[in-house]
Amino acid sequence: MNQKEHNFEDLKRLLKLKQHEVPPPGYFNDFSGHVVSRIRAGEAGGSRSFMERLETDAPWVVNFLRIFETRPGVIGGLATSLCLLLVLVVVFSERSEKASRELLTISDPAATSATVTSMTAPTLAAASDSSGIVASTNPVTSLQPVATLFGQPAAGSLFQPAGFAPASH
Amino acid sequence: MIMSEPASIADSNTPNGMLEGDLVKRARRGDLNAYDELVQRYQQRIYATIYHMTANHEDANDLAQDSFIKAFQALKSFRGGSSFYTWIYRIAVNKTINFLKQRKHKHHFSLNDLDFNTENNPDLVALISDKTPHREVGLAELQEKLNEALMKLSEPHRMVVVLHDVQGQSHDEIAEIMDCNIGTVRSRLFYARQQLQGYLAEYAKPA
Repeated sequence: MNQKEHNFEDLKRLLKLKQHEVPPPGYFNDFSGHVVSRIRAGEAGGSRSFMERLETDAPWVVNFLRIFETRPGVIGGLATSLCLLLVLVVVFSERSEKASRELLTISDPAATSATVTSMTAPTLAAASDSSGIVASTNPVTSLQPVATLFGQPAAGSLFQPAGFAPASH
Repeated sequence: MIMSEPASIADSNTPNGMLEGDLVKRARRGDLNAYDELVQRYQQRIYATIYHMTANHEDANDLAQDSFIKAFQALKSFRGGSSFYTWIYRIAVNKTINFLKQRKHKHHFSLNDLDFNTENNPDLVALISDKTPHREVGLAELQEKLNEALMKLSEPHRMVVVLHDVQGQSHDEIAEIMDCNIGTVRSRLFYARQQLQGYLAEYAKPA
């Protein structure tokens, strides 16, 4: 490393030329005055934009956003992946909705073949079509006695047995 | 006048002799006289850093003023984790790099004149008289070539060279200012010097 450092000696000397570049005479006499008068004139204070505040309060956020400025490919890639993600979410949500609808149809035997053998409620009878499929998904009011926790029917409770034979009209 | 010399900080109760910390406290309370003193302490170094990065006096003037105004606005968020000097430097460096990225490939030189001490600088005299094959090369031409070469570097590499080789800042200070580790500073400096040596092969040959 010392050898390499040594190799830069001429360059370092040359760079000292930069130290001799000076602004016009008297330039710094007014500099601080200009700054303070601009602050007084209201360029300071509450007129700071959100980005300006962010730059001083959370410079890492600005640095992160700056990556997008300098590398447009990154923002393009990010936007593309976000779009793909959105499309995937839409597709999967549609599929899962369809699947749950199918599942609901399959897992509801009462809706396919079961027929309430003895319907007392006129609304239920009206809701049944000719093939015996109950159109309504409203819960059937059961007349069966409600079993207690220990299997004994509660006194006074009624129940209505249901058969699984197709309805005959 | 060499613009990278650090300002001396005297210890007294007069506004221009107060400690940096006291000035910062007063400026945070809205004391513009105290802030004026802080600006005066660091104006030359901040201006010089920005000027060496942009190679344009007008841009450097605007950016230096903007940096000090922005620092005043953000003074309440300054928690004293670093010195005010490092903090204002960081603001200026970020502002300059941001500006340079926006105006990429639109370099417009507005170089300052060389001061009258240039011809008496022994390093430069030796460089021109002994090493340069074109002895007739003038300082102004050398200045332009040097600035052109610097502008070919990326902003972070140029910043490290400016802060270290021109401004005389230590690796530690640069790491703090540029918010990176010392290893990064060293590697950037080495790479930038290599690049510059290639661009300025006529004037700065390896020993």
